[in-house]
Amino acid sequence: MSKYVSKMSELKKELDEKPSVLKGNYSHKDWWDLPVEFHDGNWCFPGKPEVLQELGFANPRKWAATDADWQLPSDWKKTISEGLQSRLKQYRSMKLFLDSCIRCGACADKCHFFLGTGDPKNMPVLRAELLRSVYRNDFPLVEKILKGFSGARKLTPEVIKEWHMYFNQCTECRRCSVFCPLGIDTAEITMLVRELLNLIGVNNNWILGPVANCNRTGNHLGIEPHTFVQNIESLADDIKELTGANVSPTFNRKGAEVLFITPSGDVFGDPGVYTMMGYLLLFHHIGLDYTISTYASEGGNFGMFTSNDMMKKINAKMYHEAKRLGVKWLLGGECGHMWRVVNQYMSTMNGPADFLEQPVSPVTGTRFANAAATKMVHIAEFTADLIHHKKLKLDPKRNDHLRTTFHDSCNIARGMGMFEEPRYVLRNVCNTFHEMPENTIREKTFCCGSGSGLNAEEYMEIRMKGGLPRAHAVKYVKEKHKVDSLVTICAIDRASLTPLMKYWNPCVAVYGLHELVGNALIMDGEKKRTTDLRENTMAGFEDGGDDEE
Amino acid sequence: MNTTLVHFLDANKNVILQQWLDSTLAIFPERMGSGTPVSEVFSVALEKILSELDNCDNNCRTALDDVTRILAIQTFQPSKALSMFLELKKILRQMMRKSNVADISIQEDVFSRIDLLILDAFDSYMSHREKIYQLKVEEGKRRVFMALRRVEA
Repeated sequence: MSKYVSKMSELKKELDEKPSVLKGNYSHKDWWDLPVEFHDGNWCFPGKPEVLQELGFANPRKWAATDADWQLPSDWKKTISEGLQSRLKQYRSMKLFLDSCIRCGACADKCHFFLGTGDPKNMPVLRAELLRSVYRNDFPLVEKILKGFSGARKLTPEVIKEWHMYFNQCTECRRCSVFCPLGIDTAEITMLVRELLNLIGVNNNWILGPVANCNRTGNHLGIEPHTFVQNIESLADDIKELTGANVSPTFNRKGAEVLFITPSGDVFGDPGVYTMMGYLLLFHHIGLDYTISTYASEGGNFGMFTSNDMMKKINAKMYHEAKRLGVKWLLGGECGHMWRVVNQYMSTMNGPADFLEQPVSPVTGTRFANAAATKMVHIAEFTADLIHHKKLKLDPKRNDHLRTTFHDSCNIARGMGMFEEPRYVLRNVCNTFHEMPENTIREKTFCCGSGSGLNAEEYMEIRMKGGLPRAHAVKYVKEKHKVDSLVTICAIDRASLTPLMKYWNPCVAVYGLHELVGNALIMDGEKKRTTDLRENTMAGFEDGGDDEE
Repeated sequence: MNTTLVHFLDANKNVILQQWLDSTLAIFPERMGSGTPVSEVFSVALEKILSELDNCDNNCRTALDDVTRILAIQTFQPSKALSMFLELKKILRQMMRKSNVADISIQEDVFSRIDLLILDAFDSYMSHREKIYQLKVEEGKRRVFMALRRVEA
């Protein structure tokens, strides 16, 4: 026997003495005996009956997670069982993910929810086990072999409650997948379980409300075309007042070269609107021939957190509108899950977009070969290319009032593999940039804790716990380098990191990357700039300062 | 602070700290594991609090704030959260008995300091709870604002 094998006495000592999350008050119980308790702060309000009716979703009713009886349909077990079996046939990846886990535990301490809550069921391996245990029980042969030693169990209403709790404490960020030696994608397991839960009416209004709005008007907020236009025009007015630049976006213009699609949070949310102002300044600066659609008025896609069919339906408007307007290619704004959908699912779901051309930057001539299939370019790549070719007049000193760090958005980093482009842009538009610790950035980035439709205000306590690892990393650079600005390229991040910072790291503000681009751009014929796009005074540019250098 | 007390705390600092950390992490129903962000924060903060027990200055208050910020978002009751300071009293009482620190005035001195800490921790805990509700209200207000914009447009 190898000399490195642990002795039995050492293992016993380890088990008895080492602190473990599986001990504490529940040390004598199996993991499935741990109670599931809903109370204020740990559940999201369920979908409103009228929202479900609008979408044609199952089991519209008034209920709450704290109710003893969730009013499940009478045949709910059959629905879940058949739903699982049909999906296992449809998605071979799912069967692979369920069968191949060897429970090595490499994922266990990688999940931000596990780190923030200490709850063992938030270890990705155990969260997936919540489904896997039912899957085992559902298949007679597997059950015969494994039952009794592998944790197969019956489907009960308690299991449904457990699924609802823990698959809503997963933001589909896929950090665990980076460390999985078998490449199991826990996000897809969460997506599958949420889809199954929707079949019996167990859901979340913060997801389904935007889905219904998107289905009706094209964007999460349910904004109608005239209001959408009005808001962007008011941002153009603000730009004129602040910079003197006369940006003039067009809407639904046929024959434009580029269709620009961004999350509606950029059009209406604070601080997203400042990022939108940055895009408008950039496009005006380079004279881009672009248009914005009031129908494809949302980059985000909460269908991804609901069902594959809904994701496909909501996504379809991008290509529909590109075809209707006769544009050559698509340019997409700063968003997280939008890019997972676009980069990994769009061309399969709704493509091929053979009516579009492979994107080519009209300013630099760069051919974006990576977007050959989707015909959609990420704004950070587009801007990085412009900077690389020295096509932008920038004054990074205009961001000297900010000491920045960069938060990699999960879906951009792990879903697209984009790490350097946003950093390249950031380094060129500001002078002070510090990285957070290595194990919290790039492909190992920590989630904001509120992604995948969990950004509900009633869920604040869980969000603060889930966001703790990210906040912890920001605190590190705040204390070490006096960082006061957290820059990101995701609309949900901008919305959710703001309260996260207010709670864990007061005095750290959240910015979109293109807001800083907008601050730094030197526009032709601009008036003297003294404030940034938020109307905060820029260091060294106060009245009497010099911005002409 | 009484010199005997200072010596006692110095001599037993590591043991007291470890016991206090263990009992505090055990408040969490799942018992927080070492290496988690929560246990890291607690381990640094409790040391600061203990070493500045005689004079809770800004450093000590920041540490107290770090601890209560975590406690304020947990599922257990506020009373259970702040029981961590009663645990410290319990630990000190046992250690003093073992170390034959029999002087009542010394015990009263240290316990009254912990009582003051509890009051500070209560204020701090409440400010974090209020912050959570403030964040909820801010998000709720934003949603109402958006709904109004849609109606008014």
